[in-house]
Amino acid sequence: MAEAVADRVGQRWGAGGRLDREAVERLAAHEPAWLAERRMHAWRVYEATPMPDTHHEEWRHTDLAHKLPLDALRIPDVEPLPDDQRAWPLLLRRAMEEDEDAAGHLVLADGCVVHTDIRTDLTSRGVVLMSLREAVSAHPKLLREHLATQAVPPEEGKLQALNATLWTDGVFLWVPRGVRLEHPVRVTRWYSEPGAAYFSRTLIVAEPTSELAYVDEALSDDLDETTLTSTAVEVIARDGARVRYVSVQRLGRGAFYQAAQRTLAEGDATLDTLNVSLGASTTRVDLNARLLGPGAESNMLGLYFGDGDQHFDHNTSQDHVAPAARSDLLYKGALDGASRSVFRGVIRVAKGAQQTDAYQTNRNLILSEHARADSLPKLEINADDVKCSHGASVGQLDEESLFYLMSRGLTHDQAERLVVIGFLGEVMQRLPLGSVSTKVNRVIEEKLRIGVHA
Amino acid sequence: MPNNAVVERLDLDQNKYDFRTVDQPVFRTEPGLSEEVVRAISTHKEEPEWMLDFRLKAYRIYLKKPMPTWGSDLSDLENVLDQIYYYVRPQDRMMNSWDDVPESIKDTFQKLGIPEAEQKVLAGVGAQYESEMVYHSLKKEWDDKGVIFDSIEDGLRKHPELFRKHFATVIPPADNKFSALNSAVWSGGSFVYIPKGVHLDTPLQAYFRVNQERMGQFERTLIIADEGSRAHYIEGCTAPAYTTESFHSGVIEIVIAKDAHFRYTTIQNWSRNMYNLVTQRALVNAGATMEWLDGNLGSKATMKYPSCYLIGEGAHGSILSIAYAGDGQHQDTGGKVVHAAPRTTSTIVSKSISKGTGRATYRGLCKVYEGSTASRSNVECDALLINETARSDTYPYIEIEERSANVGHEATVSKIGEEQLFYLTSRGMTEEEAMALIVRGFIEPIAKQLPLEYAVELNRLIEMEMEGSVG
Repeated sequence: MAEAVADRVGQRWGAGGRLDREAVERLAAHEPAWLAERRMHAWRVYEATPMPDTHHEEWRHTDLAHKLPLDALRIPDVEPLPDDQRAWPLLLRRAMEEDEDAAGHLVLADGCVVHTDIRTDLTSRGVVLMSLREAVSAHPKLLREHLATQAVPPEEGKLQALNATLWTDGVFLWVPRGVRLEHPVRVTRWYSEPGAAYFSRTLIVAEPTSELAYVDEALSDDLDETTLTSTAVEVIARDGARVRYVSVQRLGRGAFYQAAQRTLAEGDATLDTLNVSLGASTTRVDLNARLLGPGAESNMLGLYFGDGDQHFDHNTSQDHVAPAARSDLLYKGALDGASRSVFRGVIRVAKGAQQTDAYQTNRNLILSEHARADSLPKLEINADDVKCSHGASVGQLDEESLFYLMSRGLTHDQAERLVVIGFLGEVMQRLPLGSVSTKVNRVIEEKLRIGVHA
Repeated sequence: MPNNAVVERLDLDQNKYDFRTVDQPVFRTEPGLSEEVVRAISTHKEEPEWMLDFRLKAYRIYLKKPMPTWGSDLSDLENVLDQIYYYVRPQDRMMNSWDDVPESIKDTFQKLGIPEAEQKVLAGVGAQYESEMVYHSLKKEWDDKGVIFDSIEDGLRKHPELFRKHFATVIPPADNKFSALNSAVWSGGSFVYIPKGVHLDTPLQAYFRVNQERMGQFERTLIIADEGSRAHYIEGCTAPAYTTESFHSGVIEIVIAKDAHFRYTTIQNWSRNMYNLVTQRALVNAGATMEWLDGNLGSKATMKYPSCYLIGEGAHGSILSIAYAGDGQHQDTGGKVVHAAPRTTSTIVSKSISKGTGRATYRGLCKVYEGSTASRSNVECDALLINETARSDTYPYIEIEERSANVGHEATVSKIGEEQLFYLTSRGMTEEEAMALIVRGFIEPIAKQLPLEYAVELNRLIEMEMEGSVG
């Protein structure tokens, strides 16, 4: 297996090469015609799309020219890890050890899948969890229908096009009608090569009335050159399905984490998401939740905690296409050091989407003198029988709470930590996924121990 | 859902402003804009050399700046800008007595009730007709105390030093495309100076009227409120409804010295063929307060975001904004508060009503610079949608660089509640009465801030043909 993987990386993908048309052609060379054509189409879209700069409203606060040196990035050139836990780095092993109660696991190391396992009782009921590359030959029909078509097509933007043309591997999860997964599917990603550009995709399809939870965790050590990890996430919940998607980003410094996520909730489906952004030098998440059928519901949670010179940019949209759907967004963040966050969110209610309930809240806590938070919550309402509201705030630690805790014997730092955990805790409380909450809380506490006023 | 007939009748009554006066201007430039037009305006006004240079420089900036692609749909505007008259001089010189104002123009302002209001409730009145102030007058007691209330042209002539010290310092020509345009072709507007410690107990009012078809009005107002002074300035705007579009683009600059208190009220009820693109900004020094009261009821498209730059410790800025967007109207309005000093505070309250194919947009900025310690800002936006074709947008920008700042923003969008209607009708009200009451209740927090006669006016504007006798 390891050899096969090494072969793929070393020869087919043009290790160490530039992000150019040749790289696309190398990837497409051994692929079925429909996929090769899709890549070439995405490349043409990429070339025709101008690089967004700070004059673009959506990129006003994140200067790509400064933060993402695309010309300097290379296709990774590293020996992927073997499918043997003992050879994995400690950080990856520890993350996996916490993930025992899982429906299945998938591990991506440096952009390609090196390990997959799934409970046999689930495979016998038709559940599919496999590398996206394998799925190209195993499930061509489903992939042709869904891959980079409805959810995150290349036309979405420059970086989405780049991902659609250069993706090397990813995750495919398909749950048949009526099948319910008791435990979450756990995906862990490990990145090790500084200066590389990684492109992967996730495609999740939950057929009617099925139920699943999916947890994706991205890890790396600090990287001494800017390294791009680009992911395109497509989640489709058919009528009455129930999907929980969680992403936990704990990359090291030097990483530019870029995620384009779109969730499609059909009638009576519930499609909840949680984005936890803790690591990386730059984080850019575009999340678009589309409510396509009456009775659809999306709860969108987000949590970020920055220190040093970290930069977070969360760009969300709640698209109410169908009437009588509901969406509720809560993003909370704490900012220490000289870190900076941007939250830009929009609720769009289309004409005819009556009886919409849509809410949006963004709250920020500024912990240090040089931290900065920008919040841009927007509403665009084209129907009148709706309940829509949004709220945003930026503030500092509540002196009274601190004083109260310190009067009970806590040091200033301890009190501060507790208040921050309480502030961010509201997000985790809304997510009924116990093992994930435990993990996220532990990571936050770790970060707080090092982070506050470091 | 209230029935459509009722919704149809819930509308602004603009007919009372829709009358035209037939008159002959003493001079006007050819339609369209060129360097010659800019020079002609300056020549006609017998301006000093530096002002001509300023205009020409601004004209070049205007040509360079692209048309904004956000906010209202301005795709037809280039066309309009090629065809309008940039400068129309209605009479030879400005008058200080209504008796001297030509009959047809005086008649216009009489119909609008200006001379009557002047006697009763105002400290001073300025009236602009097309491109020039045709009347300016200040009550003697305020004149004696050193208050200056003049046309902007007289400000430049009679107080050149004070004028030049502040002119274009709050809003430089390069601020945006339309401030550049205004800087190139400005004409009319007020020059106001409130001396140290003077408290004006009644408002100053300027009234802007566009009568000519295909007219561009570019008034420029400069207000300086000296230390510890207090004053209230009101502007009203109307025009008859023509089938071709007209254009209004004002620049209002206000400098508020330490501990002064200034309120600027606009009730804009332009006809629905008017593009109204205005830049209004106040520099607020230590301990001073600026209040913008902004009512946008008329026009085809308005883009207008009154701003407070809080540059002195403890400065306070407040923006109350109300917008009504009926069929075919887009009100893209809001406010900006920039905190650039410690302990500065601000509030923005915005209420909008959209009806028919109307679209009301709140667009606002709250920015707190690092070092503006212990600053606070609160923004509240409420939008009411009257029927299913109406549209409401909210775009608040919140940019915070200061740890000790506290900033909040809340917005809601709703329709007239079934339950509220049911409750009121079960108490014996007709549906019309109930809706009028709900709408009035919705705008009440802003209406009550207006001087009485304006509150009455606002209520009457949002009025229905009611069979009963409410109101």
